[in-house]
Amino acid sequence: MKKEKSKWKKLPADLRWQTTLSAIIMGGGQFLYGCRGRGALYFLVEAATIWYFAVRGWKDLLGFFTLGTQTADPWTHTPGDNSVVMLLMGLLAWLILVGFITFYIRNLKDAYATQKQVDRGEKPVGFITQLRGLLDQKFYVLALALPVVGVCVFNILPIVFMILIAFTNYGGSIVPPALVDWVGLDNFRRIITLSQFAPTFFKILGWNLLWAVVSTALNYFAGLGLALLLNKDCVKGKAIWRAFPILAYAIPGFITLLAFKFMFSYGGPINQIIRSLGGVAIGFLDLDAKWTARVIGILVNCWISVPSIMLLATGHLSNRDMSIYEAARIDGATRGQQFRSLTLPYMIFTTTPVILSQFVGNFNNFGIFYFLRGGMYMDGYFLASDTDLLINWLYNLSIDNNYYCIGAAISLLIFIITSVISLLVYVRSSAYREEDTFQ
Amino acid sequence: MRKQWNIGRATDTVVTYAVLLVVCGIFFFPCLWLILASFSESGSIYSFRGFFPTSYSLDTFRTLFTDTTMYNYPKWFLNTLFIASASCVLGTFLTILTAYTMSRFTFRGRKTLMKTTMVLGMFPSFMGMTAVYILMTQFNLINQHWGLILIYAAGAPMGYLTQKGFFDTIPKAIDEAAKIDGATNFQIFWKVNLPLSRPMIVYTALTSFTWPWSDFILPKLLLKEKDLYTVAVGLMSLDETEFARFAAGSVFIAVPIVILYFCLVKNMINGISAGAVKG
Amino acid sequence: MKKRLISGVLLAAMMLTSLAGCGAATDSKEEAQASKDTVTGAIFDGTLEENVTIRVLENDTAISKGYFQELIDAFNAEYAQYGITAVDANMDQYLDLANDGPYGYGPDVLYQANDVLMQYAQGKHIYPLPVESLECYEQVPEEAWEAYKTNVEGSEYYCGVPVNIQAPMLYYRKDLLPEGWENTWDKDANGVPDMTENWRDMYLFSKERHAEDSAKYGYMKSIYDVYFSSGFLFSYGAYVFGDENTDTTDIGFAAGDAEKGAYVLQQLAGVMNEDCLDDTITTNAYSRLGDGTYFATLSTPDMYSTFLDELAKDYEKNGKDANEAMELAKENLVMTGLPKLPESGDLEDEETATIDTVSMGGMNGYAISAYTQAPNACLAFVDFATSYKMMMKRSELLGVAPARADAAKDAGEVSADLFDRLHNNQIVLMPSVDGVSQIWTPGQTFFIDVAKDAFRPENERKYKDMAALKDGLTDMSQQIYDAINTLQ
Repeated sequence: MKKEKSKWKKLPADLRWQTTLSAIIMGGGQFLYGCRGRGALYFLVEAATIWYFAVRGWKDLLGFFTLGTQTADPWTHTPGDNSVVMLLMGLLAWLILVGFITFYIRNLKDAYATQKQVDRGEKPVGFITQLRGLLDQKFYVLALALPVVGVCVFNILPIVFMILIAFTNYGGSIVPPALVDWVGLDNFRRIITLSQFAPTFFKILGWNLLWAVVSTALNYFAGLGLALLLNKDCVKGKAIWRAFPILAYAIPGFITLLAFKFMFSYGGPINQIIRSLGGVAIGFLDLDAKWTARVIGILVNCWISVPSIMLLATGHLSNRDMSIYEAARIDGATRGQQFRSLTLPYMIFTTTPVILSQFVGNFNNFGIFYFLRGGMYMDGYFLASDTDLLINWLYNLSIDNNYYCIGAAISLLIFIITSVISLLVYVRSSAYREEDTFQ
Repeated sequence: MRKQWNIGRATDTVVTYAVLLVVCGIFFFPCLWLILASFSESGSIYSFRGFFPTSYSLDTFRTLFTDTTMYNYPKWFLNTLFIASASCVLGTFLTILTAYTMSRFTFRGRKTLMKTTMVLGMFPSFMGMTAVYILMTQFNLINQHWGLILIYAAGAPMGYLTQKGFFDTIPKAIDEAAKIDGATNFQIFWKVNLPLSRPMIVYTALTSFTWPWSDFILPKLLLKEKDLYTVAVGLMSLDETEFARFAAGSVFIAVPIVILYFCLVKNMINGISAGAVKG
Repeated sequence: MKKRLISGVLLAAMMLTSLAGCGAATDSKEEAQASKDTVTGAIFDGTLEENVTIRVLENDTAISKGYFQELIDAFNAEYAQYGITAVDANMDQYLDLANDGPYGYGPDVLYQANDVLMQYAQGKHIYPLPVESLECYEQVPEEAWEAYKTNVEGSEYYCGVPVNIQAPMLYYRKDLLPEGWENTWDKDANGVPDMTENWRDMYLFSKERHAEDSAKYGYMKSIYDVYFSSGFLFSYGAYVFGDENTDTTDIGFAAGDAEKGAYVLQQLAGVMNEDCLDDTITTNAYSRLGDGTYFATLSTPDMYSTFLDELAKDYEKNGKDANEAMELAKENLVMTGLPKLPESGDLEDEETATIDTVSMGGMNGYAISAYTQAPNACLAFVDFATSYKMMMKRSELLGVAPARADAAKDAGEVSADLFDRLHNNQIVLMPSVDGVSQIWTPGQTFFIDVAKDAFRPENERKYKDMAALKDGLTDMSQQIYDAINTLQ
């Protein structure tokens, strides 16, 4: 911070008026120094931003704090404020403002850099040359610009929005047209003081972790195993064999889950077969079937996830450097040894991200138990069943009754716990630390 | 000695095939059952005796495609096809680009970016749905297929880690050779790396096609008119007595993905690095 | 420094919002003084908007059976002179107006159940209606209007117009009655089989039918279904919410002798099979009644045509031609009121007197979205759709029971019976408050548990006596209470 300041203080000494002009009219200096294209671009950004803030931006900025002052009443045709929209658009306006300020500072630095170039008597780098640079040294800027903007608007903005909701009273009967207010930490206080909350939370968290670890491991090794099996030289007609898991993959998940639920129900085919063999029908997903239901959940999840892991592993397997294998064979390594010391480390390295995204996906796997075994509250659980994951519980608590603010507060808590765990794992993984092991 | 080796190899083959049969059986069983249900005459799984329907007929498929006053399946199908194809093209492009960039370039904030995207995935996604809905009302993209495509395409790069893992294994030596020949980074990406990563592109394309194809939460949120529905939303909106239609619709929804798979399959397996580095 | 700035801004913001709160409070007080007539009068000024299109949301059955097309055709012909056209909103029948309406994506007129519609009323998403001006006002009984009454800021408003009554009906097949039932199963000699008149005989008959052929059953119905099972509790004094279904802090599922009702359910589960634990029976009842596996089941009147089609299909399979099969199906499929319950709650008790069965029910009706541009045209549509003529047509095509007294009388026995049951408080209408969405899961869990007991080995049973059942009901009520109130 201090360093920055001293740098700023030094600046005025050799500033020219053209450069100072850039502080008011962005790109003005650059334009006068002869970088017309760049100057015009900066100016356009400034004009667009000013136009945006004049038209609606400033209202949005304020609305973020007030969350509306006028209640709408459709019955009397009174137009009013929609707090949620104001919160979201306010957030967007602040994001735009931050983006603009960053851009503005860039503009100043750029103007000063251009001045330096002119002072040294060099010809400033032309706009076209700079654009060309985007295809070369600065290729990453060009490549990431679109994805980053997209992710910011459609992923980060909603998440930040939801985190902010945790500090409001949005939900229950307070939904538009009623006005929402900031309530500080009230929601968190309510969750912590709720005596039934903690026991259920830890019970579910324990199962949730177990579930995520077991299903991730199972899915991963089953998928990898299948890919290796199909990769064997002796298997003929690989495309046809692979088509079976692909068929499973092609049917949308929720349909598969509904079908599985029916298959395991009392009137379903599995029980019909058991009955026709003279057995007694089994309540696979019954009220009392805690562990049976959990195991079935894990297996069904495996059925759904394995095909995509297999596909991915197949792609990776074909990308191996086969010359190492030849060398190993010459050195007399058995196939088992080759697998243990060559294939496995390679696969684990390349697919660590997959394991992680599988873990994350499984941890937050809403569909499995919602479709398979939804609609039950068990003894000893606060509004949850013994197969529910945290995300299902969250759904029961918040969405069913529209308690968005409480739901947001709980998801923020869950989010903090899970992200710390996965971040620790990720930062320690070799795929993160030694990205070039296999190059 | 040689004979023994042959026997070992033969047992290995037999065991391999046996395991494959079992695995494929497991994958096929529920699908087969759904397919049978869609071809059963009564159209109700409850008239099954054991595993098989009592009688077969094509009627359910005929009604699925001809009786469109209430449930316009053909229209839903075309909608889904449009949304999935567009999101697939855009999403694949963005994901591959992001993954490649994150794998090949070192720049300030790269590791932070990696950690951030990792953590963002942990947030329960349905909690953000309210915000997405409001955002789309403000952009006037409710009841617009483009709105959905925009979200799918924009969300796709979040899953870039898998693809990055792949690019991490393509030797940098190839890039450097190209650089010496005077190629720009863009050219290296476009002309050298892209052709090398065909299996990965196929995988990405398949997943980013399947996601919009089978998702029902977002389309349900953003498409309010029945004519604009995707197949998944449409199937969910079926009346509970319409089981036959549901089964037939569910079976038919799998067809494009299977076709897509067979079209792309030959690109999935082509050993690449083996030849490339050695030269 | 930075922190202090932010907290300062936040403080200022909070002060602003609290000021805004005060403003809103005075507003609402002023509004309370305004009489409700001026509110509805200002909305519905009586001048029809011309050249408008109103989007109407109907339920899927009404559309698929062709009723809705007839309705809008008739309406459009009548109102062509004003240029008013009603069209199918083409949206999901279960859409959420509170979510879509404010952004302009909802329908103008919507047909849904009273518990759903009235959740919109509190948020003012639907308009209060000048119901006295409607042609059907006099014909619809007070009990039906009650379902649409709401209290907003001190005045009472009606926010919907009742169209038809939904409540469980007993469906059974006359041709599956035992040979010579007139002698063996008609003790009171009134020409009506005893098992359709009281649950005790239904229970005994089910036992007998299953004993004769183990693949066949008597009465079958998924016990877990709260909508159908809660009626057994209501019959013995239970209720949903206190203060006429409005006080969500008072959960009444364990009130009175509710455990007797639970005991009846437990016994009934004993004559079914495990299919009653999940929704197997609910989804296959149509075809299983059709093929004769089940003798009787419970369902709502609007499912009549589905049952009929399935039965006809079965006759056709056995060699009848289409017309004949349909005739036969119409003759043999009976939809009737619910059997009576034993006062003691024990289906094996021969001595006990019988009491009337109370059931949960719903009132489906029309409401007008508060986001419509043409309220008067919408009101005209609702008036038209609730006319005697259209109600009769609806009842004829869909088999539903009209809420209009004149139509109910002319639409047949079943409608008249349902109408009377509503009038005699034998139908508990679903509460019209938010909390109602939280009763289903706890209820479902308890009912599954009670039914499961019938299939547990004797020593593992959870509900061995009335006291245990009472405790179970109390637990369930507590869960509902938690679900509604802990986060309030």
